[in-house]
Amino acid sequence: MSTTALSQFSIPFLMGNSLNAWSEALAGFYLFGLPLGLVIIAAIPLVFIALYSLTYGVYGERKISAFMQDRLGPMEVGKWGILQTIADILKLLQKEDIVPASADKFLFVVGPGILFVGSFLAFAVLPFSPAFIGANLNVGLFYALGIVAIEVVGILAAGWGSNNKWSLYGAVRSVAQIVSYEIPAAIALLCGAMMAGTLDMQKITMLQSGTYGFAHFYLFHSPIAWLPFLIYFIASLAEVNRAPFDIPEAESELVAGYFTEYSGMKFAVIFLAEYGSMFMVSAIISIVFLGGWNSPLPNLGAIALNDWTSGPVWGAFWIISKGFFFIFIQMWLRWTLPRLRVDQLMYLCWKVLTPFAFVSFVLTAIWEIYIP
Amino acid sequence: MSEYFGNIKTGAVTIATGMGITLKHFFNAVHRKGDAGLDDANYFRQVDGLCTLQYPREVIPTPPHGRYRLYNAVEDCIGCGQCVRACPISCITMETIKVAPDDLAVCGKTSDGQQKKFWIPVFDIDVAKCMTCGICTTVCPTECLFHTPVSDFSEFDRDNMIYHFGNLTRLEAEAKRRKLADIQAKAQAEKAKKAAETNTESHE
Amino acid sequence: MQELDTAVPGSVRVTRQSDKVVIIEKDLATEQMVLAMGPQHPSTHGVLKLECLTDGEVITEAEPCLGYLHRCFEKCCENVDYPAVVPYTDRLDYLAGMNSEFAYAITVEKLLDIEIPRRVEFIRVIVAELNRIASHLVAIGTYGIDLGAFTPFLFCFRDREIILGLLEWASGARMLYNYIWVGGLAYDVPADFLTRVKEFVNYFRPKALELCNLLTENEIFVKRTWGIGIMPADVAINYGWSGPMLRGSGVKWDLRRNDPYSIYPELDFKVPVPDGKHSVIGDCLSRHLVRAWEMDESLKIIEQCIDKMPSAEGFNPRSAIPKRIRPKAGEVYGRAENPRGELGFYIESDGKSTKPVRCKARSSCFVNLSAMKDLSKGQLIPDLVAIIGSIDIVLGEVDR
Repeated sequence: MSTTALSQFSIPFLMGNSLNAWSEALAGFYLFGLPLGLVIIAAIPLVFIALYSLTYGVYGERKISAFMQDRLGPMEVGKWGILQTIADILKLLQKEDIVPASADKFLFVVGPGILFVGSFLAFAVLPFSPAFIGANLNVGLFYALGIVAIEVVGILAAGWGSNNKWSLYGAVRSVAQIVSYEIPAAIALLCGAMMAGTLDMQKITMLQSGTYGFAHFYLFHSPIAWLPFLIYFIASLAEVNRAPFDIPEAESELVAGYFTEYSGMKFAVIFLAEYGSMFMVSAIISIVFLGGWNSPLPNLGAIALNDWTSGPVWGAFWIISKGFFFIFIQMWLRWTLPRLRVDQLMYLCWKVLTPFAFVSFVLTAIWEIYIP
Repeated sequence: MSEYFGNIKTGAVTIATGMGITLKHFFNAVHRKGDAGLDDANYFRQVDGLCTLQYPREVIPTPPHGRYRLYNAVEDCIGCGQCVRACPISCITMETIKVAPDDLAVCGKTSDGQQKKFWIPVFDIDVAKCMTCGICTTVCPTECLFHTPVSDFSEFDRDNMIYHFGNLTRLEAEAKRRKLADIQAKAQAEKAKKAAETNTESHE
Repeated sequence: MQELDTAVPGSVRVTRQSDKVVIIEKDLATEQMVLAMGPQHPSTHGVLKLECLTDGEVITEAEPCLGYLHRCFEKCCENVDYPAVVPYTDRLDYLAGMNSEFAYAITVEKLLDIEIPRRVEFIRVIVAELNRIASHLVAIGTYGIDLGAFTPFLFCFRDREIILGLLEWASGARMLYNYIWVGGLAYDVPADFLTRVKEFVNYFRPKALELCNLLTENEIFVKRTWGIGIMPADVAINYGWSGPMLRGSGVKWDLRRNDPYSIYPELDFKVPVPDGKHSVIGDCLSRHLVRAWEMDESLKIIEQCIDKMPSAEGFNPRSAIPKRIRPKAGEVYGRAENPRGELGFYIESDGKSTKPVRCKARSSCFVNLSAMKDLSKGQLIPDLVAIIGSIDIVLGEVDR
């Protein structure tokens, strides 16, 4: 098995569905009666996220922000500062693990954990390629939407447990924000689900595949789809506390918001969770509106670009690059815009996004019924 | 209602403008401004691009008359002590010994030919205290005290921030002091003798 | 049955039945929380401490606590000669050292009653206006940070860096210049200085426009500052406000026009006040806009000064500097328009000493900050941050 798998890796576009067989074989792998293979499968997204947030998340954000601000960014550790995040991780690992004396110790410790788990649970249903999906739920989209709400519990635990006024403000703001923004986000995604007729993430993706590449994506199916697409993108910024909706951690108002008191590895875990959920919402939006792991390249007669760039590994490549594209936009927005105020945030949610989400919901329904 | 949609429109337009500006800067990141000084005629030629300098390797050039590290060219110092009096924060400590008449040639002259009349065993500048105002340099009659454009002179030990410019070692200073005391004592004795002589003369 | 505690709002009314305590009523009024904002807080611009009484996110009262950066400026001045006070004035408002020196120099010159060479005046105005632009760049940039926009801040500092370079080229130091002396200047400007300043003016105009597009016109920025912290003109005058703060409230008061000094009467520039169209008069946005407009006026002043500059032939910047400053017994109050408002020096001389008997600084930031209590009442925490940012305090000048 190993030789064939290796050869297939080297020529990814010739790969069929054998990766699926590979992962099934891995799932059946037992060591001393323990399901080690299952553990490895579960660990793959974790490893991916760790690597991504090290390379693209933290390093990329630093470099992108630096270039937008006429700076160089990290340059000292390694060529072009590429090892800077490794140095940071080493620093964070060495730091003393401080729990403030008057903090609620249980909540303080458990908060980052819940946050981390909450942002990673959704990775279970993200299809990374035709062959690779953690759990192929038939309510995948619903699950992904619902599980994100667990993050709120983590933020509230962290903010309350810190026994710090700034943290409390941050936590309370965050809860109000995330809970509110889930409504336009959910309705916007519902439009996508309506177009697909299913909540199964893998099926939504498959329905968008075809030989014309991007033309099959839901974003280009109907002009109405742009509306839920934009609404979900804006709402997702608020859900992952990114600027201009970063009021829970507003550094100029609330010092650092709900993680003011955190340091060392707990801080790193919160950081990792933030970058994890950034990728998660980017992946969800690309699955629902931009065809997930489908190649955007069309077949042009004999030049079958679409066929050449399809396959399990290409699929992973496409969804990750689509995710990175949206993360780039998130960073771009962050380094351009000022922050909204709490009441303006709610205004935007309840008076702008939610009505427009309902309108787009109705319009999508009409489009789906009357225009094939 | 029109205000509602107007708000959304201005919001979208201004956000797009802002994003256009940041994206322009993002793509301008292939240029770098370089470390040309302001006295370079081409200073304003490259206006876009990254403007960071990586400090220890690239530095902003300081102008030749930049006021940073205080330096005393002690061979020109006549020990007048005006700088000590002028310094608003008293960061200069100075001790002087009068030069004995037979040592005047050894002590030498300043570069503009003025005879130096003091040995300066101690001329300490605490550059950690110095606020680089430059007042001491303006009162200095021989212009031996001046600021150099060296801007980075950090130290790990605070004692190293005290710069010693004295032109005598401690032993030499002791010797000169003793010599001066001897001469003064001799002069004193001479004087006393003379006084005694005049006294006796007047008695007679 | 006995009532223990009754009418205090926010408390729990309980009653005792035999030996059990039973809650009969919970008052919904909540307790207020004391929130110490500062002295270490990202948006208090240094070591200002604001003791806020908050009800949720609403500030019911905010009291500024000062003195964390007190350095005994006035006492120091009584112990040094008149010329040696100049480096201390740099350290008052360290973002606008040239302007502080200018204010001190004209005050002592008033006391001494001496004539200054014309070229000195022109150079003084150029460096002071350059420094005004640098100072306003910091004010605008940090205001962006207060409202969450980080990028404009770095753009501002990039351009300020050039101004600091220019001033370093002229004076030898980057922030604490000791350049404008009583009766003259430390040095004449370098040979190419004026050409380079002119180039800077041409360079800076498009950059200022870009800054305006990126920050000032941004809808989120406008929404964050529009109608926040409104200060009516009469209250502002009563508080003794000055500078961009007072002009932000619609009062056309600029010492360069109203109590002219140096060569300002010969120059053509406007005193910008908000027109009520771009902002509500007296709000944070007005104050921000006044600063932005003032940078434009400063550029105009610099251009005019370069055009009118007398030639350097036979010019000695120290020709009018007295050998020993020992003014006649008397007192004087001199003031100048600083980037943050009126900086005044009250100097008393006993006629014998070469040191001032009393040297009081009337700092604009301190006076402007005094209205904090009025401004912050009933505002949200994010608005409080916006208000502090719009006051544009420099703690070096507040605490002295």
